[in-house]
Formats: sequence, structure tokens, C-alpha cells
Amino acid sequence: MNLSCLGINHRTAPLEVREKVWFSSDENREMIATLKERGISECVLASTCNRTELYVSVDEHSKAPVPSWKDLVALKKSNVEAQDSHFYSIPSLHAARHLFSVASGIDSMVIGDVQILNQIKDGFSLSQELGCTGPLLNRLFAQALHVGKRARTETEIGEGAVSMGYAAAELTSKIFDDLSKRTALLIGAGETGKLTAQHLESRNIGSFVFANRTRTRAEGLARRFGGRVIELQDITTHLNSVDIVISAIDSPEYILTTAQLRHALKQRSNMSLVIIDLGVPRTIDPGANTIGNIFFHDVDTLNHIIDRNLANRVAQIRSVEQIILEELTLFHNWHRSREVTPTIQELSKQFEAIRTSELEKHRHHFSTEKQEELELLTKRIVNKILHTPITNLKNGSNADDAPTVGEKVSLLRHLFGLDRNGTE
Amino acid sequence: MFFLINLLEILLPLLYFFAIWAYAKAFFSGVKFAEDLKSILLRVVLGAHALYIILRATLLHHPPITSVFEILSLIAFTVVLVYAYIEFRTKNSATGYFILILPFFFQLISSLFIKEVPNVPPMLQSNLLGFHVSSAFLGYAAITISAVYGFLYLMLYHDIKSKQFGVIYKRLPNLETLERMSLTAAIFGFVLLTIAIIVGIIWLPRVFENFDYSDPKLFGTAAIWLIYAAGLVAKKVGGFQGRQMMVLSVAGFVVALLSITIINMFFTEFHKFY
Repeated sequence: MNLSCLGINHRTAPLEVREKVWFSSDENREMIATLKERGISECVLASTCNRTELYVSVDEHSKAPVPSWKDLVALKKSNVEAQDSHFYSIPSLHAARHLFSVASGIDSMVIGDVQILNQIKDGFSLSQELGCTGPLLNRLFAQALHVGKRARTETEIGEGAVSMGYAAAELTSKIFDDLSKRTALLIGAGETGKLTAQHLESRNIGSFVFANRTRTRAEGLARRFGGRVIELQDITTHLNSVDIVISAIDSPEYILTTAQLRHALKQRSNMSLVIIDLGVPRTIDPGANTIGNIFFHDVDTLNHIIDRNLANRVAQIRSVEQIILEELTLFHNWHRSREVTPTIQELSKQFEAIRTSELEKHRHHFSTEKQEELELLTKRIVNKILHTPITNLKNGSNADDAPTVGEKVSLLRHLFGLDRNGTE
Repeated sequence: MFFLINLLEILLPLLYFFAIWAYAKAFFSGVKFAEDLKSILLRVVLGAHALYIILRATLLHHPPITSVFEILSLIAFTVVLVYAYIEFRTKNSATGYFILILPFFFQLISSLFIKEVPNVPPMLQSNLLGFHVSSAFLGYAAITISAVYGFLYLMLYHDIKSKQFGVIYKRLPNLETLERMSLTAAIFGFVLLTIAIIVGIIWLPRVFENFDYSDPKLFGTAAIWLIYAAGLVAKKVGGFQGRQMMVLSVAGFVVALLSITIINMFFTEFHKFY
């Protein structure tokens, strides 16, 4: 199989090296075009913050050399001080297996990362657009995307929150059914608050209320996510109109006390209130958790959820590997059939030519009725002669000393004098 | 056709078992095959059990309430029927395992010990009685399911409050959904119990000449009805929410269970026909 993968990832190289061989979309476009000019018929580059991988398939009659890591660095025009050990080169079917592992998320820094599938898809689409994919990479990447989808739908590899903001949003979803009917009060306008707002927005939160010491920063978030802004000192008076309170602010003392929350709960007719305190030190009195229908959680709780979810994802790796094996077998069978099909077709054609030629020579010896019988008989004989060699050629053998498909095809072509130009 | 009744008596516990297995597998392991299979099995169980009840009623010419074992089967069917309705309404099938265990055991006992009653008392052949009993059982089944959802709510509530994020947290629907499921079942149960009581009040004086409205069974039933009525009013008017409502649902069921058991065992005669 003329397939190889040249790559660098978070396990082989530090960030300062990886970031210097990261390709933007434009750089990717430029590189693919250059490789095409150099005679590489099929290539796809997938570049993310944690990995850059170049998949290449070179036609066996092509004289174009397979790119090395030095070519990759040169094409990036990078001045990185890289070493051999930072890169890996994976040949043949192992490269396909590696791509399937990457697409499924089990090779990611955060196991089950959902972004990687889109990044592979983007790289593949770009190469397709530039006409730099052919039968092999089209099939390989279509199957890799299928592996990614199967891994996510048939296993729990991508399940559960693995970041603070996501965990906070997930926890909230375990209490309320339809977040589009709920209002979230976000206290603090820093990066943590913004990320949490993003996760709540992705879960269709109904509306936002923002409060911050610096009002203009809260107004910035309100413009970005929609919603209204209130003064920080007024938050207690708004507790009866919100369902979720997320505090991501620094404060030396509690901004909400148990007594204030108990009073607020009465005012809101005991309707459930979710409070998530992302501050360290905590900014909301943890005694709030003793009040019925108030669900108070802090950073420790969220870390606990993240740890559990990560452990669960790791436990899913075996199931994902099973999917990879199934798909790899399909890919391998497809590739093998692609190798042998032209030879089988030519062999059948040659036998058919011999049959019809001999039949024509001797046709006049037989009556019209007998000629039909003869036609059927000779066809059956040819089919029976070809059946066993064709089956063996297609199925191959698992024995270590068995000839490879390529060797078998060559031998067959040599024995029957088939035209070598017809090979794949 | 009697062969079919006998066959269903063997098949039903097995079908219940497979349905529970699929719901358990889906809940605890999240297996996709079980996720797809469980709702199909629920429909099969419901259809087979409905056929069994209809066959018994038509071929034996009386409502299936002439023996304890017929009644157990009817209770099992009503629980499954109410659960299927709730699953369909709420589009949430995560809790089936917790509900279906009860009808499985009821049907198993029924299938093992059921016998034909040779001489069915004429009063038990009344269709009005059949309607009264069916609506009462559906009502009790609904409040049982309401209590199970209430209990599941309290389990999840406890786990979230105490920061335990195990299988209960992972697999159960969110608190709001559980509360809605419990409330839907409670309303369903309350309406059906109301119908059962009205039909009973019409039917009883026709059958029992010396019928006495001071019968403890009637007091017990009225008390259960009042508890649920008060609970629904508390929700609507008093603003009872979340945990409070779920505690009420579980408490209402416990009172109903104790009331039925104690009164049936020690105080009343007129509901004993066999």
C-alpha cells in the first residue's frame, strides 16, 4: 500500500516545536499545491494545536520522493530547531490505523476530543478542493470520518464534561430540563465567566444577566451573548428572577450569604436555584447547600465531575479500538480487492477469448442445438478452472510465509502472460 | 383460544424479564442495542398483556377480577399501561427498569398460580364492577409510578446535593423531568381514583342491599383521595416545588399502601369476594 503518514504531536514534541510547524488554512493550501507540483498525486494535511500530520499516497510509477520532516519544516518556512525524534513516519496500513485512532479521539491530548474530527474533515476538504486526493485517500478519509462518527455514537468516548465551563453547564442541565426557559446570572466578566457563558449559550440558555465590578466589561459580555447588566451590589434583589447563579469573580468575602439566599428562596416560592461558585477563595457561602431546592457547587465539585468523565472516556478506549479494527479490516479488504481486480478481469478476459476462439474454430462440427449446449459447457469449464485461483487471490492467507498480494499478482501475470501495463 | 391464554401465561413473565433486562442494560451500561430494543419490548409486553386480558374477559365471560391472581395480572397490566403512557408523553425511557420490576413479579406470581374459578359469583360478572376495578387499579398504578418517580427524584436530589456523581446522576433524567413525570402520574392517578370512587358509589348500593357508607374501606379510599387532592392544591396554590412535592408523592403512596393493607386485612368485609 503506497500510503504514509508524516507527523508531529503532543507526545513527540513540546509546544514550542509544535507551534512552529502548525499550518494555517492558507499555508496548508500553499503546501498542498507545492506538493502537487512536485508530483505527489494524493496528500492531505491535518494541522491542529496538538498535531500536524501529512498523509501521502504516491503512485508506484511516480518518481516523486515521499516528503520528509525537513521538507515539512521547509514548506512551513519555519526556523524551528527540530530533531528526528520530534517526528514520526508511519507506513502503509499502520498509517490508516493511526488516522482512524486520531479521528476517533483516542489519540488526542484530551481523550475523546470532539474538535479533531472537524479538523480532519477540513484538511481533507481542502485537498479535495485542490484536486489532490484520489481513490486511496478519498476512501481512507471517508472511512476515517465514519470511524469518528461511530466512535462518538456507539461509545461514550466523547461523553461528559472535561472543562470547568462545560461541567458547570452540564450540572445545570441535570437540574433543569429546558434551559431555554431559564435565566442565568453571571457574576464576573473574566475569561472563566466568558467560557461558562459560551457553554450555557450552546445549551440554548433563555437569557443572561451580567454583573461585574467594572460595568463596562459586563456590558461587553451582554453585547456578545445578549442579556442585561445589573450593578454588583444589586444581585440579591434579582435572585427571584434568575434560575442559575454563576460566580466567577474575585472577592475577599462572600458576595451572597446563606441568610440572603434563604430569604431569596422564599421570595421565589421555593423554585430551584442552581449556584455555581467558580471563585477561589469561594465567593458564595457554601452553607447555601443546606437549603432545600438550592444546589450549590464549587470548583472542587466541578473538578470531581471532570475527573470522573475523563476516567470514563479512558474506559471506552477498548470499545473504540474494536471499531477501528472492524473499519481497518474493511479498508484493507477494499484495498486488496483494488489491487487484484484488474488482474482478475484480464485473466477472465483471456480465458474467455481462448474459449470463444476455439469454439468458433470447431463450430461447424456441431448442429445448432448442440452449439448452445457447447456454449454452456465451455463457459462452465472456464468458470470452474478460474474459481479456485480467483478465490485464493482475493482472500489471501494469514500464514507468515505466504506470498503477498503483490507477489501473487506478479506471478499470475507472468504465468499467463498478462500485460503488465494493466496493473494498478 | 384457551391454548393462547395458557401460552401467554408462560410467555408474559418471560417478556417482562427481557424488557427489564433491556432497560437495565441501557440504564447501567448504556448499550446501544439495549437502548433500541427496550421500547420495542415494552410495546410487545403491552400488546401481549392486553391480548391476554381481553382473551380472559371474552372467553371466560367475566372481567378478570375473580381471583387474587387475575387481579395481580390486571395490576401488572395497569402499571405497564400507565408507564408506557408516561414514557410516550415525556419521551424519556431511562426509568423503565425501576418501574417494570413490580409488574414482572406480579405477573410471575399470577402465571404460576392462576386457576379458573369454577363458580364465579354473579356480582363479579358485572361490567360496571369491571369498570370500577379497572379504573381503581389504573389509579393505584399511576400513584405507584408517581411515587417511584418521586423516589428517583429524591435519590438524584440527594446525589447532586452530596456531590455524588455516579450512575444515578449519569443515567437518570434531570430533576425537572422526574418531577414532571411524577406529577403527570399523580394527576392521572387522581382522576382515575375519582372515577373509581364515583362508579363504586353508583354500583355498591345496587349489589349490597344493606350497604353502609361508614365502611372503613370507603373512609380509607376517601383519605387517599383527599391526600392527593391536597397535594395537587398545594402545588397549584401553595407553590409547593421540587423536593417538597416529591416527598408528598412518596408519603401519599405509603399512606395509600398502609391504608389499603391494614383496612383490607383487619376491618372490612364487603370488598372480599373470594
